[in-house]
Amino acid sequence: MMRSALTRLVRLFPAAFREQFGDGMIEQIQGDYDRARARGFSSALWFAGATTADLMRSALAEHWNPTWTKLNTTNTEGTGMRARLSEWSSDLRHASRALGRSPGFTIVTAGTLALAIGANASMFSVVNGVLLHPLPYAHLDRLVNITATAPGSDMPEQFGVGDEFYVLYRQQSKLLEDVSTFNSGTSTLRTDDRVERVRMSWPTNSLFSTLGAAPILGRLPVAADESRTAVISYALWSSWFGRDSAVIGKSYYISGQMRTVIGVMGPDFKFPSDETMLWVSGDIKPDSIVPGRFNTELVARMKPGVTTETLARELTALSKRLPERFGGSARYAKVIEQHRAIVQTLRDRMLGSVSRPLWVLLASVGIVLLIACANVANLFLVRAEGRQRDLAVRRAIGAARTRLIQSQMAEAVVVALVAAVVAVALASIGLPVFLRMAPPDIPRLREVHLGVVPVLFTLGAALISALACGLIPAIRASEPDLARLRDGGRGATRQGNWARDGLVIGQTALALVLLIGSGLLVRSFWALRHVNPGYQTKDIFTFQIAPADSQLNDGPSFARFDFAFMDRLRSLPGVETVGLVENIPLNEGTGIARVRTEEMSNEPDAGVRLHVTFTAGDYFKAMGIRMHRGRPFATSDHTMNVRSVIISRSAANALWPGKDPLGRRLQLQELKTWETVVGVVDDVMQNDFRTKPEALVYFPLVGPEPSSWMISSPAYVVKTKRAETIAPEIRAIVRQIAPTAPMYRVYTMAGLARDSMVQLSFTMLTLGIISALALILGAVGLYGVLSYVVAQRTREIGVRMALGAEAGRVRRMVVVQGARVVAAGVAIGIAVALAATRALSSLLFDVEALDAPTFVGMSATMIAIGLVASYMPARRASRVDPIESLRGE
Amino acid sequence: MSPRETTAMSVFEYHVLLALASGPLYGYAIKDAVESESAGTLMPRAGSMYRVIARLMTSGLVTETEPDDETPPHPGHARKYYALTARGRTALGTEARRLKRTAAVAEKRLGIAQSR
Repeated sequence: MMRSALTRLVRLFPAAFREQFGDGMIEQIQGDYDRARARGFSSALWFAGATTADLMRSALAEHWNPTWTKLNTTNTEGTGMRARLSEWSSDLRHASRALGRSPGFTIVTAGTLALAIGANASMFSVVNGVLLHPLPYAHLDRLVNITATAPGSDMPEQFGVGDEFYVLYRQQSKLLEDVSTFNSGTSTLRTDDRVERVRMSWPTNSLFSTLGAAPILGRLPVAADESRTAVISYALWSSWFGRDSAVIGKSYYISGQMRTVIGVMGPDFKFPSDETMLWVSGDIKPDSIVPGRFNTELVARMKPGVTTETLARELTALSKRLPERFGGSARYAKVIEQHRAIVQTLRDRMLGSVSRPLWVLLASVGIVLLIACANVANLFLVRAEGRQRDLAVRRAIGAARTRLIQSQMAEAVVVALVAAVVAVALASIGLPVFLRMAPPDIPRLREVHLGVVPVLFTLGAALISALACGLIPAIRASEPDLARLRDGGRGATRQGNWARDGLVIGQTALALVLLIGSGLLVRSFWALRHVNPGYQTKDIFTFQIAPADSQLNDGPSFARFDFAFMDRLRSLPGVETVGLVENIPLNEGTGIARVRTEEMSNEPDAGVRLHVTFTAGDYFKAMGIRMHRGRPFATSDHTMNVRSVIISRSAANALWPGKDPLGRRLQLQELKTWETVVGVVDDVMQNDFRTKPEALVYFPLVGPEPSSWMISSPAYVVKTKRAETIAPEIRAIVRQIAPTAPMYRVYTMAGLARDSMVQLSFTMLTLGIISALALILGAVGLYGVLSYVVAQRTREIGVRMALGAEAGRVRRMVVVQGARVVAAGVAIGIAVALAATRALSSLLFDVEALDAPTFVGMSATMIAIGLVASYMPARRASRVDPIESLRGE
Repeated sequence: MSPRETTAMSVFEYHVLLALASGPLYGYAIKDAVESESAGTLMPRAGSMYRVIARLMTSGLVTETEPDDETPPHPGHARKYYALTARGRTALGTEARRLKRTAAVAEKRLGIAQSR
């Protein structure tokens, strides 16, 4: 569409010029456009903008070039074009002057449009930066993410694959060009002067070739490096190493050992997440694979022409060979039997969860723009009404209709251009504020800015708005009834109210759609705020440290360290209780293990998969997790010979349905010892407030052997009224007892709770602001139309009142007229909302997309506001003084 | 003598003449040649491109021509081919010599600056 629109611009040139060079120009425009399009959407947009400007400027210049008019004096088109251009410029000058004479009108119309266009420009910048701007990987359309599902097994709905899948796919898939696996997590990075836990990724060496990425400095890892090297991100290079190229070849303590930095990636390379600071890559040795880990993700590049469906079929079929090739337990073989590969495009995986809310918000600001246009169009209609007489005269003395439409449109164009300039200014102020509010986990949000493309978008939106605002009034104004000339410019304007009423009906309907949408989100937010997660979030401070000391080498040594550390924490002023847990809710998921009871059979695959974590101190008390039965761990439970365990209510139900679990014994799959249940606690929501709590088993810090498990960096939980301010004091203690230990994952539980809801609260807040804007604009529009109608009918109302009509009746007459319009708008709005709210369903919680109370409540609000907006002009009508109104004649 | 020949030509015009010096070309091929021979410093868009061709034609430096025999025929629309006129060839030579002279001056001055 853009391509053919561009070639059409060639018509702007003088006919003689076109005849000589038209075909060549069209060939070049098409060829250049195709090249730009191949580079991406924004590149094509930029090309279109620049070429439009070039063609317009060149065409204009050639119209002044005497060669073409001289060559072709018989052709009137050249001069016609020139005449038209000068007509336009004189129209625009006239329009600017006329608008300058009515500053009130200009400010209201340009301001309304500027607000709406500014909101659109900001929202479009976000959508453009996050969703439309292509991810910086070569052959993006062929990059896919591979995970797995196994319906009918006890695996979760979607889970990662293991190294054995990688090896098999790499060797045997005929549809893949390149494949790699990656794990990511947080680990310690220590340089000469700094130590911190940072996000890092452990991919295969092939990751970089799969994504088609090259370092901007140094080299990529090869098999001979054997994971003793690391590639660092541009962000880390900037923040830790001051962009010094001398970093290449230096060795630092990275994730458990010294590794040499060999390369720096470019600023665009952010895989798998924006926070990933470095990559420790290696190769997988097929002989050392333990099948059945299901803990890595695969990213792969398909061969050209392959679809995700065919690839998923091939990979599913291939995976059936896994048990034969790599062995594994009977349970593993069973999972593989059920296994189906899930192939989704990398784009969907990285942007899938944010794209829906962002598109919804863009659509919503689009609706606000429509409402604003309707309002401004209405104001133009009213303005044109005042000019009927003037236009009738011009028409009567022979002005062409198109000429009249054009002169009327000119004002709308001027208003829209002013609005566009103000809108860009508004967006440049508003966008940073908006970005600060937005959830930090939206990928690439930091790259969002008001660039060329959004500004072009703004200009486009303004021009379309000008057309939308100006066209109906201009057309209506261009058909003035000549009768106006006869009766001296008086008279009611009953006919033609359809345009104004239609605009108000449309506004009302659109505003209602937005109101219902934000109502649903508010209800979801309310429900989510009132979920009982099983723990409290108030007055709790939490953090982790990673002490590294040669004496800390097994479970008991870490337990001793933890108890001593917790004693120090407890002695801080204002601290009520202190506990620790391996995985703090709302921040980290728990591990999963197979657990069996004494009552179950002792086959290797018996038992149920439960979530497991480790805890000590007064964790349950600090978090306010209710002890349902039994007791919490005592200090003596954290020794090797006492085997106690605490389970959640769901875990109790899963292990011993309907029986008292206290005193019963359970066993972790890989262990020989039995653990006795000493307590049952309430379920907790580990991941977020939306998902059902999982069955959870809490183990003590020390296992049956010193090396059974080692809780080296748990989350400490401090209950204190000073949760927001205590961090520096704790940092001081950490510096004393473990100077090299980084302190990280520092949060308050209240902050974690806020963050877990930020996507919903952000969408809700934004949509709330947008719909409030729509509501105000809609109400103002209705008020404006009715005020205008009342003003037009002052004489008629005066006559009625002179003849004895009561004030109440006059008021009712006007209000009913408003109510009819609002009722029609509400009916249409409900119908649209029934279809549109489905787009929100992934954000909703505990409320249906077709929630009747929300629909009814919001419709009632809309009607009430409509009636208020009608009542004000109605009151004015009922105060018309009959004598005054007739004296005007 | 038209005033055009006395004033220095623009870089863009120079590159169009340069592109045609190797033989007749059609519009898009001129554009590609200009782009690559100017090492990407000139990226002519359609409007500006044909304005320059038009200007060179009216000042008699470039003319429309039939394509050479070697040029492979293209299906579809017949393309218009452009070629240098004798005057165009002279103008290009004059401009090239002028550029060479100014380049020599620049080199000389920079050379002095370096040795100081």
